[in-house]
Amino acid sequence: MGIYIKIFFIFLLVSNTEARPISYSGGHTLMHFNDNMKESIYYHYSPSFKYSIGVEELNNKIFDRSETNLRFTYLVNRKNTKNSQRNFYFQSAVSTKNSNFIYGVHGDWETRRYFIGFDYKEIKNIIDYTDKHIQLGFAPYLGAYGDLHTWLMLKTKKNSLSKKQITYPVVKFFKGNVLLELGYDKKTDWDIHLMYRF
Amino acid sequence: MIRLLFITIFSINLISSDEDHHMHQNSHNHYVYVQGEKLEVDQDRFKSFLDGLSNSQVAVVNVNGMVCDFCARGIEKTFVKDKAVKRIDVDLERGKVLIAYTKEKEIDFDEIKSKILANGQNAIDFSILNI
Repeated sequence: MGIYIKIFFIFLLVSNTEARPISYSGGHTLMHFNDNMKESIYYHYSPSFKYSIGVEELNNKIFDRSETNLRFTYLVNRKNTKNSQRNFYFQSAVSTKNSNFIYGVHGDWETRRYFIGFDYKEIKNIIDYTDKHIQLGFAPYLGAYGDLHTWLMLKTKKNSLSKKQITYPVVKFFKGNVLLELGYDKKTDWDIHLMYRF
Repeated sequence: MIRLLFITIFSINLISSDEDHHMHQNSHNHYVYVQGEKLEVDQDRFKSFLDGLSNSQVAVVNVNGMVCDFCARGIEKTFVKDKAVKRIDVDLERGKVLIAYTKEKEIDFDEIKSKILANGQNAIDFSILNI
């Protein structure tokens, strides 16, 4: 049972640190994720807008265990139009401490008003499993460049271990180079995701 | 695994198609010297941008894919490294980037396209306004 819980929370962690997986060319990104059960810091560098490389340090507060992952994300396809952008990414991670690894795809489409994204992963761990999520978002107002921007979102996710679908609200704020995302579910409590680009 | 590989390979082919499409669009560059009214910019924002500027030239660039403030940040960071750039602003609502250059700068649209592409967006065309 402990192994299932550990993997389940690693899954939650990974799925929440994938917003904006690649920065602009030469851009650095630092992310912090925390809730009452886990904490992570993920840094990535984007040599090009098409891919990023990074390292992620995880700490599972329940089992007091840490893990380090090397991560690589590649922008397979992007379609820009005047009012929208669509992205399709390949993503992967390998552990530095064992033979565990993750690979999958992530896609999104957004306008200034609407957002829809999906994520699918295969996780090779002590027990292999898959997970997926869909996220829908709506901007209640359209801010100008430099303003505080707000998104109201709904996220639903499921993995092959728990076989339970969880749906919960997420609110996202960003201003300048800082992004804050808060999600809440009765079972998993608060998700706090902070991102800084430089 | 095979499904993932197939989707990935298929999508890689789509990249070049999109870029080719944009290359055709970008071949229609034009230089228009106007007073600002015909540039389809937010007039208040544009006046604020021009405030205090003199002996300059302003490039008004139409950009595709600039749908979010957080995503457009890199454009500003890239252009301000150029010493010939005096000021830059982003108009998210109209999908435009305003760049104020020194008078001496020879504005090259390919250079602008390249810098905006480095941020992941596509510059479609531009106009130049002399101040």
